[in-house]
Amino acid sequence: MFRDHVIRLVNVSSTYEGERRAAIKDINLTIERGELVYIVGPNAAGKTTLLETINGLLIPVKGTVEVLGLDVKREGVRVRCRVGYVPQDFIVDPGEPYTAFDVVLMGMYGKMGILRKPGWREREKCMEVMALLGVDNVADRPMGKLSGGQQQKVMIARARVKEPEILLLDEAFSNLDMESRHRIPGLIDQLHRERGITTLIVTHDLSHLLDGCERMIAMDKGRIIADGRPGDVLSILERLTSYPRVEVIG
Amino acid sequence: MIWLGSGIIYRALIGCILAGLLTGLIGVFAVRMKLSSIGFCMSHAAFAGAALGVATAINPLFTALIFSSSTALLIGPVADKARLHADAITSIAFPLTMALAFIFLTWSPSIGLTSEVGSILWGSILSILNSDIVYMVILCAVSLTLIILFWKELFSIMFNRKLAEADGINTKPFIYFIIFLIGVVVTLSLKLVGGLLIFALLYNPASTALQFLHDMRKIIVAAPLIGVTTCLAGFLLSLILNLPVGSSIVALSTIIFAIAVILSPKRRRFKG
Repeated sequence: MFRDHVIRLVNVSSTYEGERRAAIKDINLTIERGELVYIVGPNAAGKTTLLETINGLLIPVKGTVEVLGLDVKREGVRVRCRVGYVPQDFIVDPGEPYTAFDVVLMGMYGKMGILRKPGWREREKCMEVMALLGVDNVADRPMGKLSGGQQQKVMIARARVKEPEILLLDEAFSNLDMESRHRIPGLIDQLHRERGITTLIVTHDLSHLLDGCERMIAMDKGRIIADGRPGDVLSILERLTSYPRVEVIG
Repeated sequence: MIWLGSGIIYRALIGCILAGLLTGLIGVFAVRMKLSSIGFCMSHAAFAGAALGVATAINPLFTALIFSSSTALLIGPVADKARLHADAITSIAFPLTMALAFIFLTWSPSIGLTSEVGSILWGSILSILNSDIVYMVILCAVSLTLIILFWKELFSIMFNRKLAEADGINTKPFIYFIIFLIGVVVTLSLKLVGGLLIFALLYNPASTALQFLHDMRKIIVAAPLIGVTTCLAGFLLSLILNLPVGSSIVALSTIIFAIAVILSPKRRRFKG
C-alpha cells in the first residue's frame, strides 16, 4: 500500500514565457510515494510542461504545486535537490569543454549544498552509477563527442547519482540503441522496485512499458483526459477517434 | 621618450598583468554564460560615470565604478523581472548610458573628450596610478577567492543554467555576482585599453582557450594566462612600434584568436 502523496497539483495552469495559451490547464493530480507512472500523449499535449511544473522549473500561473510536502513556488530549490530530472532531447555541442564524468558529477552539486567540494566518495559514486548504465568507459571523454544514446545514458546517470526520491524522465529512452532500449528501462524498473523511487516517465512510445507500471496518464491539449491502469487508459484512448494512435509494441 | 626603468613603466607593466589576468578570468564566464553585451554596456556605463565625475569635480574613477556597478546590479534582476535574457536588457541599458554620458559632457564643455573622460574612452595606461594597482590587486584577490569558493556552482551554470536549476542550484545569485564582477573588472581595466576596446580583452582570451581545450578547469587557467601574455606583448609592441597601447593589445589579441581558430584541434574528428 502507498503511504503518502509525494506530488499534489491543485487547479494548476502553466504558461511558457511569451505565450498566452496555457501549456497545461486546470490540472488536478496526486501521485503517491513509490508509484511508477507513464504520461503519454501526442506532441504539445503538455507532458514536458507538467514535469517542469512539478519540479518548479516552470512556475504555474494558477494553482498550487506541492512536492515532497513542500510548496514548489517558494521552496523549488529544496525540492529540486531531491528530484532527479532527465530533460527531453538534451544533446551537447561537440565543442563543449565538459567530460561525461563532469556532467554526472554535477548532478550531485545541488544536493551537496553550497561551499562543499566533491570528494572521493562522490567521485566513486559517480563511477558506480556510470558503470551501472554502461558509460563508465567513456567517463573521461568530452560529453559532446559521445553518441546521442551515450549522452542520454549519461543524463540518466546524472539524474540517478543524487539518489532522488522522485525521478522525472522526459522521453529519456528515445535515442537509445536496441540493446539499451531493453536494458536501461529495466534498470529504472529495478530502481523503482528496490528503492521505491516515485518515477514519472513521459513518452509517446510505449514499446518499453515497464512491469512495475500500474498507472498511466493520458494528456491532450494541456489537459489530463484519462488516468488509471495502463490497460484501461489504452482502451479509452483507442475509443477516442480524435486522439492520435498510441503504439504499443512488444 | 619614456625611460624603461621609470616607475610609470613598472606601473604600466603591473597594470597589464593584472588587467590581463582579471579580464581573461572573468571573460570565461562572460563567454560561457552568453553575457556577450555586458562588457560593452559596462564600459559605456563607466564612461557615463566618468563624465559625471568630471562635470561635478569628483574622482572620475569613483563615479565610473558607481555607475558600472549600479548598472551591473540592475541588469540581472530587471532581466528576471521582465522575463528577458540579460543580453536584451543590456542592449536597452547601453544607449541609455551613452545618452547620459553625452548629457554629462555638455555640463562641462570646456573639458570634453580631451581629459580624464577621454582616457576612460581610449585608454591611458601610462597614467595608471599606484592606487589603481592597489584596487586591481584587491579585486584579483576577491574575485579569485569567490570563484574558488563557488566553483562547483559556477561550473555547473556554465554548462547549462536550466540543468543546474534542475539539480537544485539557485542560479540567480551566481549570475548576478558574475554580471557585477564583469562591471567592476571592466571599470578598473579601462585605463589599459579604454572603453571602446575592452570587450576584446574580455572575450578574446576565453574564446582562444576554448579553441584548444576540452576541459573547463584548464580553460579557466589558460584564459587569464593568454590575457596576461597578450597585454604584456601588446604593450611592448606599442613601445617598439610607437603605436597606441590599447590598439596594439587588441590587434594582437585578435590575431592570436584568429591563429587559434585556424589551428584548433576541435575541428578534427575525435579518435577513441
